[in-house]
Amino acid sequence: MDTARNRGGRRFRAVAVALCAAGASALAFALPASAKTWTIAIADMRFQPASVTVARGDTIVWVNHDLVPHTVTSEASRFDSHTIAPGGNWRYRATAPGRYPYACTFHPAMHATLIVKEKEKQ
Amino acid sequence: MNLKPIPKLLLAVALAAPAFYAQAGADAPTDAQIAAIVVTANQVDIDAGKLAQQKGSSSDVKAFAQTMVRDHTGVNQAAADLVHKLNVTPEPNATSASLKQGGDENLAKLRALSGKAFDKAYVDHEVAYHQAVLDAMDKTLIPDAKNAELKALLVKVRPAFVAHLSHAKALDEQLDGHGQE
Repeated sequence: MDTARNRGGRRFRAVAVALCAAGASALAFALPASAKTWTIAIADMRFQPASVTVARGDTIVWVNHDLVPHTVTSEASRFDSHTIAPGGNWRYRATAPGRYPYACTFHPAMHATLIVKEKEKQ
Repeated sequence: MNLKPIPKLLLAVALAAPAFYAQAGADAPTDAQIAAIVVTANQVDIDAGKLAQQKGSSSDVKAFAQTMVRDHTGVNQAAADLVHKLNVTPEPNATSASLKQGGDENLAKLRALSGKAFDKAYVDHEVAYHQAVLDAMDKTLIPDAKNAELKALLVKVRPAFVAHLSHAKALDEQLDGHGQE
């Protein structure tokens, strides 16, 4: 039955879909088209690999394979995971190009570097 | 070249090590006995760490103690999960009893100290203790573990003990005035 209420509902859904599509388009422009996700293992009390180069907009996931907690803490205070429990992980989206040495605040010997480069134009 | 810390360190190792050789000459430990040794070894270091969190003088010593409590609690949780899964009941033995006794004696000694003397005694013992644990893991616990998952747990936890030993040594040098502040 095509009541006024149903017609209103259809109009609302149509507007909502249009807005979502517009939002998605805006998001697509804001994000690099080919943003990647990188995984860094925390295992045997080391960050592996110890140096990773990513592009701006990429996401890095640190996965803690050890039996003890760790942190991923930028030495210049750019990012800090706080405690990553054994078996847990932490994601970070790299938004600013630069070279970021980081460490585990619990284990002073654990150091590594994240390098974020400007996205190359395609 | 300053050799002063070396005799002290050797003395500390000599004091801490016998606990792990209480069964020297006896049969190799069973998995149930190894489980008891692992749990006791972790608990002894958790207890010392909790005391150092309260009585420690330097912020670096307190932070190290906090890491020892956090890490050894995590290892014991993993060990407890595994023995539950394997349906193994940790079996107290001469080595685990000796470890407990050594831990109690260390706590009694530390309770009588304060300030820098406490920090030095705690960290000295941590160096000796982790060295002794690593020796025991390499010579007895890992080679003698029969169950593959128990052996894998010991192998997996070993790098944490190596990191703790390095951390404790660096702290010891710092307390002796040779390291970076």
